[in-house]
Amino acid sequence: MQKDETLLDWVVVSVISQDRPGIVACVSKALYENHYNIEALSQTAILGQFAMILIASAKKGQPHQSLETAFQALSQTLGLNISLKEARREDMVPYRKNGTEPFVITVHGEDRPGLAYGVSEILAGWGINITRLDANVTLIGQKMEYLQIFEVDIPEELDFDWIHDRLRKRGQELGVSIDLQHQEIFRAINQL
Amino acid sequence: MLSSEEIIRTIEMLKNENLDVRTVTLGISLRDCVSSSVGEVCKNVRSKIEKHGKDLVATCERASKKYGIPIVNKRLAVTPISAVAEGLPRSDYVRVAKTLDETAKEIGVNFVGGYSALVQKGLTVGDRNLIDTLPEVLATTERVCASVCVATTRAGINMDAVLLMGQAIKETSLRTADRDGFGCAKLVVFANMPEDNPFMAGAYLGYGEPETVINVGVSGPGVVKKELERAIQSGRRLTLGDLSEIIKKTSFRVTRVGELIAREVARNLNVNFGIVDLSLAPTPTVGDSVGEILQCLGLDSIGVPGSTAALALLNDAVKKGGAFASSSVGGLSGAFIPVSEDLNISEAVRCGHLSLEKLEAMTAVCSVGLDMVAISGDVDAHTIAAILADEMAIGVVNHKTTGVRLIPVPGKKVGEKAVFGGLFGEAAIAEVRGINRSSTFVSFGGRIPAPITSISN
Repeated sequence: MQKDETLLDWVVVSVISQDRPGIVACVSKALYENHYNIEALSQTAILGQFAMILIASAKKGQPHQSLETAFQALSQTLGLNISLKEARREDMVPYRKNGTEPFVITVHGEDRPGLAYGVSEILAGWGINITRLDANVTLIGQKMEYLQIFEVDIPEELDFDWIHDRLRKRGQELGVSIDLQHQEIFRAINQL
Repeated sequence: MLSSEEIIRTIEMLKNENLDVRTVTLGISLRDCVSSSVGEVCKNVRSKIEKHGKDLVATCERASKKYGIPIVNKRLAVTPISAVAEGLPRSDYVRVAKTLDETAKEIGVNFVGGYSALVQKGLTVGDRNLIDTLPEVLATTERVCASVCVATTRAGINMDAVLLMGQAIKETSLRTADRDGFGCAKLVVFANMPEDNPFMAGAYLGYGEPETVINVGVSGPGVVKKELERAIQSGRRLTLGDLSEIIKKTSFRVTRVGELIAREVARNLNVNFGIVDLSLAPTPTVGDSVGEILQCLGLDSIGVPGSTAALALLNDAVKKGGAFASSSVGGLSGAFIPVSEDLNISEAVRCGHLSLEKLEAMTAVCSVGLDMVAISGDVDAHTIAAILADEMAIGVVNHKTTGVRLIPVPGKKVGEKAVFGGLFGEAAIAEVRGINRSSTFVSFGGRIPAPITSISN
């Protein structure tokens, strides 16, 4: 059945904690018992740390007080770091400028402070939005290397070759290798 | 969303396993360039190639940068010159070839294929002129590649043409004696020659092809080898069926890259996308070798007993994976075993594991034929023609393409080495047994009739 979104209020909930079984169950139980419906959710864990962001809706005008109380209880008993923020429906659309092409930036080499900043600073300067960022130490070929993966949307009016050149130079300054490739090559090689 | 594993795997293939697009070949029809004036033909050929080909290299380079994948060669394939120059006297053919050579250089491609003739059933005046001028053209041009189709399953084998080609190979070798007979590396003799092959030296634009077309040849022996090694080192119990499955999946990935690049370049040039050729094309680089794949499959060297079976497995798996990955597969599509262009195969010839006879047997199950095989310059034209006839028979009877690039190396004998340089590599001189014993057979001439299996309608 189609929901009438004008009759709903929205909240954004983020949860951070030491990873262990039961976190999702506790948080979703609190939402359910307080009559919230989860609209979208993403969860990950890195190096034993759990993080989750979710968007939930409730009947318009329903006070969020009882949910906040339930979350406070969870924070105290289970040590979860939970934040709740009201949101407007119109804000909940992905950031997407028209006329962009999806590219993947890979940064690999020896780990050192300032890598994420070094790359993201350049991207921010050109108005290039990061749609996904992962960083990890992983096996590439025969050796363990630090790898950062940025998925970005590059506005069509920017020349990807020129950007690649700038990134490569930044890589040389930072002592790592930085590559920029259109996302389609990864899809072509790996996906049906 | 892409997974980290997918991204890492792709980077490994590109950075460590020599994954590349071996060639983007632009086919251009020269059928409207004919004239009875050589000046007119040359002018037409030049302006047609410039018009359609001028942006090829820049477009390929941009696609290469966009996807982060090397495109090793950019090339041209044209209508067989035997037809384009048919209205000209023999003495003008070389001028047409030189125009092709100069124009190819101008637009920055490293080879132009199509100094070709299709003579499986007989020769026209133009075909004969073309074959007669092969040695001079191959000796005096840098980028022109030649190919002659002397046999098909439908027509049988034109033995007159086979003998002519034996003589042309011999003479070309003598005219390029200072370069170890290198002229012959730019000349292929075919049975069942494909019209859309993007690989040199056999590329040309067939009569059934459009005005312009982009055909792409992928590579990937290094990627296949690494995948096999990874699986074997994992300690899992594997059968040859499992290994075939691994090759198939890898071929799928490699072919998808080819199709992506082909479509991008074709779109940007506003040209038809033709086919992806699935061939595993080796280079004279360690880790980029079909011979090494056979070693991964458990053989000490390519050429030892078991090699034909292993190559059959490889060739079949490459085709199956590739056919699933692309809706437009064509060209030669299989595994190449060019001796000088594959370090490992070249070494197998040097140390005696791989003989000419075993190579010939293996060509029955792979996509080409006796490719880049250096033989002694002492071998006579009749014996060369007889070797050609044997290889053509394998293609004709098995309904497949076979090609021969034999390079008689003047002044060199078995135990010595021919050096061609670059992607052409180097090769130990392979022994030819039974020299000067086939002359009567090949001199009968005429046509070996088409096999009974050709009557399939």
